[in-house]
Amino acid sequence: MIDRDTRVIAKREFLERVRSKWFVAGTLLGPIFMVAIVLIPALIAGQGGEGTKVQIADKTGVLAEPLAKALRDEQWHPEIVAPDTPETTLLERVRTKQLNGFITIAPDALDNGLIHYQGDNGSSQKVERTIFRVVRKVVLRARGLRQKLTPSQLDDMMKEVNVLPEHTTGKEAVSGLATFFIGYIVAFILYMAITLYGVSVMRSVVVEKTSRVMEFMVAAVKPRALMGGKILGVGAAGLLQITIWLAMGAITLAYRDEILGLFGASGGGAALPPVDAIQIAIVIVYFLLGYFFYSALYAAAGASVSSEQEIQQVQMPITMLLVIGIICLQMIGNDPRGSSSAVMTMVPLWSPMLMPMRYVLGGATLTDVGISLAILAVSTYLVVRAAAKIYRVGILLYGKRPGLRELVRWLRY
Amino acid sequence: MTAALTVTALVKRFGNHVAVDGISFEVPRGCVYGILGPNGAGKTTTLRMINDVIAPDAGEIVVLDGKRPGRDSAAFIGYLPEERGLYPKMRVLDIIQFMAELRGLAAGEAKRRAAAWLERLGLAQWGKNRVQELSKGMQQKVQFATALIHEPAIVILDEPWSGLDPINAEVLRQVVDEIRQSGRTVLFSTHQMEQAEKVCDAVCIIARGKKVIDGKLLDIKRASAAEGLIAIGFSDDVSRARADELLADRALVAERHAPHAGDLADCEVKLADGATPQKLLAALVAAEIGVRRFEVVVPTLHQIFVAKVGAAAAVAERVEAAS
Repeated sequence: MIDRDTRVIAKREFLERVRSKWFVAGTLLGPIFMVAIVLIPALIAGQGGEGTKVQIADKTGVLAEPLAKALRDEQWHPEIVAPDTPETTLLERVRTKQLNGFITIAPDALDNGLIHYQGDNGSSQKVERTIFRVVRKVVLRARGLRQKLTPSQLDDMMKEVNVLPEHTTGKEAVSGLATFFIGYIVAFILYMAITLYGVSVMRSVVVEKTSRVMEFMVAAVKPRALMGGKILGVGAAGLLQITIWLAMGAITLAYRDEILGLFGASGGGAALPPVDAIQIAIVIVYFLLGYFFYSALYAAAGASVSSEQEIQQVQMPITMLLVIGIICLQMIGNDPRGSSSAVMTMVPLWSPMLMPMRYVLGGATLTDVGISLAILAVSTYLVVRAAAKIYRVGILLYGKRPGLRELVRWLRY
Repeated sequence: MTAALTVTALVKRFGNHVAVDGISFEVPRGCVYGILGPNGAGKTTTLRMINDVIAPDAGEIVVLDGKRPGRDSAAFIGYLPEERGLYPKMRVLDIIQFMAELRGLAAGEAKRRAAAWLERLGLAQWGKNRVQELSKGMQQKVQFATALIHEPAIVILDEPWSGLDPINAEVLRQVVDEIRQSGRTVLFSTHQMEQAEKVCDAVCIIARGKKVIDGKLLDIKRASAAEGLIAIGFSDDVSRARADELLADRALVAERHAPHAGDLADCEVKLADGATPQKLLAALVAAEIGVRRFEVVVPTLHQIFVAKVGAAAAVAERVEAAS
């Protein structure tokens, strides 16, 4: 299937990339970014709230004490002030940094009156959650007391509620969030790989045009072999890099708690849901085909331009197509069995990103996957052919970028 | 034995413009063949079609024993395109090896020959450098190596002399000679007639996409000589004055010009129809005109080119004006 010319071209593209300083640097620096991606959210999520200095102005007269106590348990530093302390004074204290924030409690707070937190960390999700949880508990307990409940009745009422949402379409249930998370990661790695290496394929095509080497190339080999070889060669280099990264990432994940411990943070996040061999195979096949499909699109785009500057212009639309796929992930997650999900996972532009998730969520049968893969494979071949034609005709034109109508005419050559 | 290359009724249009308009010629094996023509004549387009860079709209190209342009014949052709370029970031040795592999050599053999070629070009110490670090002249040498490394039966060079200094132009001429001596065929295009005259065995002159004349260089020259251009030098001023009357005889002489610059003849005349050099010489002798020089002029390729292409251009203009 892969002829000798394609192999020779692929070998060159692969070696030229793997030997470059950037490849080595990128391969080594990539994991540092990845560690940062794991660490920074953990570090950020882990902090927020502790040591917050707040003042409480309570007009009910019953909430200030238990609230201060509950906040102290969260490592905050609450202080009770006179109920009629004007808000301007409190705001002034925040402005002069004596306080992080303050809580004002309306007189009818037990009957739906407002409990208002204003503070310089009010935008932190962690602070928001803490305030919400603590205040809610304190108010519920106060309402219980008002109804003259006994302490045991109160404790009974305040017990934790345990809820577990999971995903299933008839088989064993899996954690919905974790599945969605995996789908997102796969789509995101694909997106990164495509934008990194697809653009590399395009640049490689454009260099041939700007350096005028392409006439020699076309005389020696078929443009189709040239395009195919480029995509395979650059692809192999990219896959090598991704494999190294994934290996490093797997090691990082395996020792996540130890690494986080070094930074004084604790591990969090959901454990990975179990995946079976078929799912892994589908993820890999879609990844490869999607990658080649988009590389071919980039190659075609590269063949239609004649200078480095124009790369930006043709790159945009392809990136937009990718982004549409990423956006639609949410749609698949919400309704994997819906008809719009079914349509989107058949379109080769988006099936690589969306179909793995749809399948893992149980929205698609293996037959659906097979049809979608066939469409993707045929489209990839057609796009490579189109790229080759555009490339060949483009030899004769330097300087002017062809319009869409002209490109269509070239395809009929 | 079949010809190295046969081109029959080749046509290529770009939009409304006909770049190549029914050109036919045959390149015998083991010769140096020049495609000559002014700018825009269709030389490069013709060579590109032979190399399968672009497809002809009509006509036929046969390479060696019935091969078609493209994959079939790529291993037997070495091509130096007019648009010359190399991958700027590639190492010199690697790029020669790569292009040799594309022309069918195995990786090991390609590497060995690439090193040998660098040695031969005096670039051995540059093998590990990137192409962009080389001077333009050095890059050109590397390009020649990529066209010749697989020892192709046919070497096609598009405007090989453009951009070469006189020393390298001479080197190239020797290379072309070597290829001919090894029994292989060279096909090149140029508008530099001096170079073509020195190396060509045969030529095809084209203008405005049409063939003007083709054949062995010697035959073309002989044919042009037969058109009766004669350079005359007189022995003294008296003879020169006396000759005026005789050369005005329309039965003998159709036209009289001043000689070409640098020629020591007194004048050049074109014989009238029916007149022969013998008749003219006899008349001169009979009139007792002293003749220092009497020579049937063999025109240079440049002269033939200007005469033929100028006429072709004039005809084309007239046709265009009439239509």
